[in-house]
Amino acid sequence: MMNQGESSDASTAVEKHQINDTHQVQSSYFPPNCAVASWSTQGENGVLSTSSYNHDQQVDPNLKTGQDGTNLASVVSTSNSGPANGVQGYSGYAAYPNSDPYGYSSTGYAAYYNHYQQQPSQYQQQPSQYQQQPSQYQQQPSQYQQQPSQYQQQPSQYQPQSNQSYPHHVGAYQNTGAPYQPLSSFQNTGSYAGPASYSSTYYNPGDYQTSGSYTSGNYGTQTNLWHGGQYATYSSHPYPNYTPDSTSAYSSTTAVATSQYQQHYKQWEDYYNQTQTEVSCAPGTENVSVSIASSVTNSVPSGNSGYTASNNQMSAAYTPSWRPEFSSSDLTSVQPVAASGNAPEGYWKHGASSFQNDLPKSVEPHAQKPPDVTPAHESFQNQQTSTFSQGSTALYPASYQVSQIQQSSFQIGPQPSEPLDSRRASKLQIPTNPRIASNLPSSISKPDKDSSMTSTGAKPAYVSVIMQKPNEKVTSYEEDDSMLKPGMFPKSLRGYVERALARCKNDRQKTACQAVLKEVITKATADGTLYTKDWDTEPLFPVPNTDAFNKDDTQLPIPTSVMPKSKSPSRRAKSRWEPISEEKVVDKSANISYGTTKYGGGWNSKQFSGGKMENKDNLGTKFSFSDQRSSSKNFARPAKRQRLGEDLNAGDDGEISSDSDKEQNLTKYYSAAIALADSPEEKKRRENRSKRFDKGHGNQVEKNNLRGKDVGAGKLYARRASAIVPSRTFDESGSRAVEDIDWDALTVKGTCQEIEKRYLRLTSAPDPATVRPEEVLEKALLMVQTSPKNYLYKCDQLKSIRQDLTVQRIRNELTVKVYETHARLAIEVGDLPEYNQCQSQLKTLYGEGITGCHMEFAAYNLLCVMLHSNNNRDLLSAMSRLSANAKKDKAVKHALSVRSAVTSGNYVTFFRLYKTAPNLNTLLMDLYVEKMRYAAVKCMSRSYRPTVPVSYLSQILGFTNALATSESSDEKEVDGVEECIEWLKAHGACLISDSTGETLLDAKASASSLYMPEPEDAVSHGDANLAFLPGKRFSGRLSNSSLGFFRLAAPSSRVNTQLDVDL
Amino acid sequence: MAAYVSMGEAHRRITDYLNRFADAVSYQDGKTLSRLVSVSSDSAVLVSLAEALNTFQDANRLMRQTEKYSQYVDILLPMLRALQSYRLRNLVESYLAFEKASNAFLQEFRNWELAWALEALYVIAYEIRILAEKADIELASIGKTPEKLKGAGSFLMKVFGVLAGKGPKRVGALYVTCQLFKVYFKLGTVHLCRSVIRSIETARIFDFEEFPVRDKVTYMYYTGRLEVYNENFPAADHKLSYALTHCNAQKEANIRMILKYLIPVKLSIGILPKQLLLEKFNLNEYSDVVVALKRGDLRLLRHALQEHEDRFLRSGVYLVLEKLELQVYQRLVKKIYIMQKQKDPSKAHQIKLDVIVKALKWLEIDMDVDEVECIMSILIYRNLMKGYFAHKSKVVVLSKQDPFPKLNGKPVNS
Repeated sequence: MMNQGESSDASTAVEKHQINDTHQVQSSYFPPNCAVASWSTQGENGVLSTSSYNHDQQVDPNLKTGQDGTNLASVVSTSNSGPANGVQGYSGYAAYPNSDPYGYSSTGYAAYYNHYQQQPSQYQQQPSQYQQQPSQYQQQPSQYQQQPSQYQQQPSQYQPQSNQSYPHHVGAYQNTGAPYQPLSSFQNTGSYAGPASYSSTYYNPGDYQTSGSYTSGNYGTQTNLWHGGQYATYSSHPYPNYTPDSTSAYSSTTAVATSQYQQHYKQWEDYYNQTQTEVSCAPGTENVSVSIASSVTNSVPSGNSGYTASNNQMSAAYTPSWRPEFSSSDLTSVQPVAASGNAPEGYWKHGASSFQNDLPKSVEPHAQKPPDVTPAHESFQNQQTSTFSQGSTALYPASYQVSQIQQSSFQIGPQPSEPLDSRRASKLQIPTNPRIASNLPSSISKPDKDSSMTSTGAKPAYVSVIMQKPNEKVTSYEEDDSMLKPGMFPKSLRGYVERALARCKNDRQKTACQAVLKEVITKATADGTLYTKDWDTEPLFPVPNTDAFNKDDTQLPIPTSVMPKSKSPSRRAKSRWEPISEEKVVDKSANISYGTTKYGGGWNSKQFSGGKMENKDNLGTKFSFSDQRSSSKNFARPAKRQRLGEDLNAGDDGEISSDSDKEQNLTKYYSAAIALADSPEEKKRRENRSKRFDKGHGNQVEKNNLRGKDVGAGKLYARRASAIVPSRTFDESGSRAVEDIDWDALTVKGTCQEIEKRYLRLTSAPDPATVRPEEVLEKALLMVQTSPKNYLYKCDQLKSIRQDLTVQRIRNELTVKVYETHARLAIEVGDLPEYNQCQSQLKTLYGEGITGCHMEFAAYNLLCVMLHSNNNRDLLSAMSRLSANAKKDKAVKHALSVRSAVTSGNYVTFFRLYKTAPNLNTLLMDLYVEKMRYAAVKCMSRSYRPTVPVSYLSQILGFTNALATSESSDEKEVDGVEECIEWLKAHGACLISDSTGETLLDAKASASSLYMPEPEDAVSHGDANLAFLPGKRFSGRLSNSSLGFFRLAAPSSRVNTQLDVDL
Repeated sequence: MAAYVSMGEAHRRITDYLNRFADAVSYQDGKTLSRLVSVSSDSAVLVSLAEALNTFQDANRLMRQTEKYSQYVDILLPMLRALQSYRLRNLVESYLAFEKASNAFLQEFRNWELAWALEALYVIAYEIRILAEKADIELASIGKTPEKLKGAGSFLMKVFGVLAGKGPKRVGALYVTCQLFKVYFKLGTVHLCRSVIRSIETARIFDFEEFPVRDKVTYMYYTGRLEVYNENFPAADHKLSYALTHCNAQKEANIRMILKYLIPVKLSIGILPKQLLLEKFNLNEYSDVVVALKRGDLRLLRHALQEHEDRFLRSGVYLVLEKLELQVYQRLVKKIYIMQKQKDPSKAHQIKLDVIVKALKWLEIDMDVDEVECIMSILIYRNLMKGYFAHKSKVVVLSKQDPFPKLNGKPVNS
């Protein structure tokens, strides 16, 4: 929307922007100082949290409670606020025709808010911010002209929103809000007022203020500005959660944290600065961090002194901030997701991922430091905020239109006068930034990942990566500025930008490159080839002279403003309306520029987040996708894994700590809400993240602080994660499927030497230390075969053997033997479900040409199909599959005869076959005996007159062995007759005795009195699985089957001998 | 075929095709349209078009140049690729492209109020099945999983969804259903037919009789086959008989297909075909069965079953024919009864088990008394014989009235 509106108003807007810029410059210049202060505090907070776990943890509880409260409130509020937000956002839209994109974003935010509801205050605040931003954006065109009034109007809208959300949040917010409101009233007041309110809510203004004061001392003005921005954003996001904690915690932490922060984070700060500077100076921010910081500071001062310069610098700085913003947006989006599922985790993850990119540079340490979720949030927030502020300003200038930037700057300006104000301003900025940030973060995170990938995971690498990223970001920002709605940019374009930036040797070159890129992209957008151009093959422009740098800087603002308008609108529209299409677009555009893609991702994520839980996944996947995609394009497949791993590790380093902490803490808080989030995917992600963490830890000392619990598990997952991530991405991309998963990467080589192992269904990647290699499995099989223990034990053992075979992908004779053994045992005890599993596996194993007792199991299969599935077509197909050879096999022949006897109802033949069955055929037939006997007696009672001797029945129906003619079998025969009588009685037959004392079946009387007794212990729902206990089935279903009983009680010798033979 | 096609000529042919397509759509000329999408047909136009496509590679650009074509680019682009790959015998490629084109076409079709394009949709439904079958053969030959037919099945299901609602397009639903049947029967996933059948048979808004005759015949044929699987003989008889009576008498192959199932069904309800019929439609595998039923010759029946086991198993009538055994036993006992009656009418209704065992032995079937006793018991139980069995004396005592009731179109009791 804004973009569109901007584009339409581009020319005017630019002018306006300029004007605004001037205004902003004035105000902003002053504010920066204030902002600095605020930043420092924020940074401190983040530091504190990270550095002081105790504090953080303590805080966490508070936070938790606070969060809980907020969550509850948020839930409630979410419903309220969510709608309100949405409404607001919509209203904003309505109000602002151009605001479509923004409107989307706002809606998305609203959705986020909903998501956030759990962390309502934050989310809501953010959303409100976002909304404000959108509105601002929308207004911007007009605003620029009438900025004050419009802003005010918007603010008013926002304020209401914010107020709404605030109530939910807490009184604290209100308090803060009060201070903020003043701030808002201050300059940008109108527009900011909304933000201010947000900020107030977000920020625990008091905290911020205090923090601001803290930081101010510590941080340079430059950084302060940035921090302030970041903080503002962060505060807005985190604060909702943090507010309770943050205020207290912050205050306490700030003091401590600041010091820590300075220590640990100095670097980070540097990073931030760098990033900021990076924004301004594409060059390796990381390395240059100090210099960058200086540059940033310089820029800030310059900004103060010369607004134009400051604007430029600001923009640069902003770009970083944008990144943060993105991250924040990501976070927000993530949070929503997380809210639905593991909101915290999601947040952190997203945030981490996005943050990782952004934060890693500056924030990573922070994130890591704040192991606790809240800390992480704080750190993230800080980072984000810093990024946001910067980003917002920068972004705004570029993408959002100068007006926003100006606004931010204005806000800043007021802030300078009053630290709180500045903070507020930063906050305000943040809100706007968040939107941008949301876009940016995603994009940023991706780039970061990519860079991290390339850099290979080490922190240094990250830094370097970060640098690249920053550069990229910067470029992207600049471009993004133009592209503000970078989300729209094709991935290929991203890649293109990345490549272009990668060539730059220093910041100057980077900035110059960025400028050129901007031009290129603007041009492409202008002539409509942005999406159609094959950026992958587009030749890179020559590296511009660094001299051009300054020019570029100055130029940047304008192009960005123009560019964004045209580009962003389309992108936004797409993304908002058609998230999927947007994604596609992004994918298609893949190489355009990382920033763009990132942005796209951010937007998408936002949109998606609007969508809800799914959004998380989408976001996560999207991010990863984009990264992977970009990486995949650049790298060969093998590289993917590395990337993934590295990315995860590197990118997540910052995130990881924060994620893990967050996850741990947040999960507790949100557990209820998170239940949804506990999806396998989410778990995988977590695993990945945790893995990343582990790796990252190794690299980063800071991380260690944060880590803690998750480290151990990480390694195992790393490979899997790497394998899975690509697969996921591919799945999403659609065309590639399972086959793209590198199964080799997942295959485990066991090292366990224990022969005995309990079966435990895997819930995670197999650990080689608990997997037995083939030799040991052979022994284990032998052990099971010779074990005197019962079926339950054997089944358990066999399952664990099967599992070990499966995870090691062993498919050979041993595998067949294991399955055959298990199938036989299952048949013995009548465990049909287990048997069916084995049978289906055996079918494929035999199909692969692995030899085994094929015929025996073909016979079992036939019997099973005919006796238990009662499906004619299955039977027909089973029969038609038999080869001529198979039909000659004794067991198969027997099975076919049984089938024929069953279909014709020939009970005499059936029971004869029952007595002469080879292998375990008898046992399968056992399961049909009851039915057959009943049918036989029913038939005979109809057709026989007047009586049938029971002795005959007992012989015909298999109670006694008809073939046993020897004297010694007499006793057995008597037993059989007795049993037959019992059975007949149980089925309602009428028995009479004749003169000789022989028991006879009164056929005529029985014909009407026969019935099928209910199985004694049948399970009402008929699920044999649930009823299964060894022997239970027999005793239940076949309670009248003497054979069944007998076998259950003690496996018959025949069965045992058969087994021995078979085995 | 391999004649060299100049670039200009190729261009002309492609443009010609595109024009025809666009015209057919704008004139709502379903017939022409259906000819244009009939990938597997050997029409000269399509063959020469495929050649042209080999020469002229950039049809894409050509298509996008003109507004007239570019609106159908989603259909035409893959369609041309399908045509081209089909001629190059790259069937999997062709199928994939055709599926894409079909989806795009369906999308368009959805938007057309009238059913003028039904004919083209029929052709697409047909072609996609044929192409899928061919692609599966190709896939199987290179050791890959043949899965395209399955994909075609789900596409057809989509088509069915578009047609099955109210309105003029519903007439086409049965055709698609029949194509689906063919797919499912081929895949052996017959259970998937159920939902389609339900939708056809429960829809009151549209009388079954309003569907085109050919579709009705096909539908009845397949549902009749399903009933054979279920051994629901009266229903199978009804459906297959419907198909037989409505089938075009000239289409002997179709009649034979129907008879292949109808004859076993009729046999199992006691109706025997004339030898002439079997000969006329080359269904000689049934003639021994019929003779065995007439003579009570169990050995002949078993022999006939064994001889044609593969065929019967494949067509799914094996189990049906196997159940004829009881009728053969009945016939055999009846013969013995008649002979006894000729010898001594007063004792004819008492048949000793030994006699039956002896008769079976004469047929070279070795069964002991217990088994025969069991068979007799079953015959009585199933109401193929009236009477009772006296175990003590091992005698079958037949009713004096109608001891061997005829089935008369009713299935054997079970």
